[in-house]
Amino acid sequence: MDRIIYTSMTGASAAAQRQAVLANNLANASTTGFRAEMSNFRSVPLQGSGATTRVFALEATSGHVDTPGPAQTTGRPLDAMANGNAWFAVQGLDGTESYTRAGSFQVTNAGQLVTSTGLAVLSDGGAPLDIPQGAEVVLGADGTVSARVAGQPPQAVGRLKLATPGAEDPLQRGDDGLFRTASGEPMAADPNARLNAGVLEGSNVNAVECMVGMIAASRQFEQQMRLLSTAESDDKSAGQLLSLNG
Amino acid sequence: MMNSLWIAKTGMTAQQTQLDVISHNLSNVSTTGYKRNSAVFQDLIYQNLRQVGAQTTEENQLPTGMHLGLGVNVVATSRNFTQGSLQQSGNSLDVAIDGNGFFEVQLPDGTTGYTRDGSFKLDSQGRLVTSTGLPIAPGVTVPADAKSISISETGLVSVTVAGNPTLQQVGQLAMSSFVNSAGLEPAGQNLYRESAASGAPQQAEPGTNGLGIIKQGFLENSNVNVVEELVNMIQTQRAYEMNSKAIQTSDQMLAKLSQL
Repeated sequence: MDRIIYTSMTGASAAAQRQAVLANNLANASTTGFRAEMSNFRSVPLQGSGATTRVFALEATSGHVDTPGPAQTTGRPLDAMANGNAWFAVQGLDGTESYTRAGSFQVTNAGQLVTSTGLAVLSDGGAPLDIPQGAEVVLGADGTVSARVAGQPPQAVGRLKLATPGAEDPLQRGDDGLFRTASGEPMAADPNARLNAGVLEGSNVNAVECMVGMIAASRQFEQQMRLLSTAESDDKSAGQLLSLNG
Repeated sequence: MMNSLWIAKTGMTAQQTQLDVISHNLSNVSTTGYKRNSAVFQDLIYQNLRQVGAQTTEENQLPTGMHLGLGVNVVATSRNFTQGSLQQSGNSLDVAIDGNGFFEVQLPDGTTGYTRDGSFKLDSQGRLVTSTGLPIAPGVTVPADAKSISISETGLVSVTVAGNPTLQQVGQLAMSSFVNSAGLEPAGQNLYRESAASGAPQQAEPGTNGLGIIKQGFLENSNVNVVEELVNMIQTQRAYEMNSKAIQTSDQMLAKLSQL
């Protein structure tokens, strides 16, 4: 049997996986602060004795698209969008410092500032932020959190930790959708980072690019299917040529 | 089978939930004291099929990994408690809260409900009740011979009686605030209930302890922004369409596969 079927099988399964990555991006087209997943094919030559003629295709995800998503004004005082490439530091469920661009914050009944999923938002000192009872929270442009109880002057509670990843230690997406540094070390707070309060960052998924990618992946899959059926008919012809009955 | 079919399904489901939330907001655009809701999306977990940085040989590492996301999920509906615009109604029993806080309402089961809807009425016994007939806590009774009712900014209810020029105090409206008012449980009929997430109510007189003041003769409109909701609706529809396209494409790929 011709081994072309194994080669084109890897192509087809890689196209199907790309479809999954694109579908995930599209499904998250309205997720606050979502970063689109990038995907690429990798060629894996089969090394062995003789000529290296067969090269398999493998799908890989090479990280995320780092452009900021569109700003959506909500007017809610606890919504924030970090400017440029700054990230909010939160405490992940595993206790490590993680980073997110989803700035839809809440205050718990215990008065702690948390993300919409209940993870504690960290201050520039690396500690959770406590909001006094009955206070209205105002987020400053540099991440300053002040609480204002009516009739009293606003009091500073702390400052959100905003961190900007560098090229030497880029952020990577974890299985829980939060981002962490490649080295595992927490980033230093960036004193120059700024945020916009009352604004949420939309998903940075480019829907047009996704749709075109989906069509391309689907056609590629079809081509691999065509190759498989060609291989089958080749095989059949060879069988006829070699058959004793001729 | 194909992962992308199920991933795109999560996208369609999430957009459908978003549309439900938007429709609910739009249908309550004229509800007194209604606070708009918004759906909060989150990406689902990721399948780590090949760890980035894993050793391929003793000296070499994988330069890229393989992470497959499993779609999207609606994690919460977050309520936006910004002030709605105040509308003058002229009715002396209509009150609006200008600022933070909730009126307390006695529910039939004995517990307390919280509302921003201040379109109060009097029942047959002269008690101050909501438009659904629930008495306002801590209980204000207006005498039958009252000529006019005035409610002060701090919630003091006084009446004048025919033949007596001096104001008589008949009660005091109480108000409550919550540390996390977004965590209140909506109970319908413009009412909220205390929940584990909202924290305990902090009762105080209007105008004190961070509570808003009371405006007699005004009603608070809903804080739904119609333009915003319609733009959201268009976006939701398009996202829904794109996800259905992803399902269609995955289906076509499966069809090609089964034609082999």
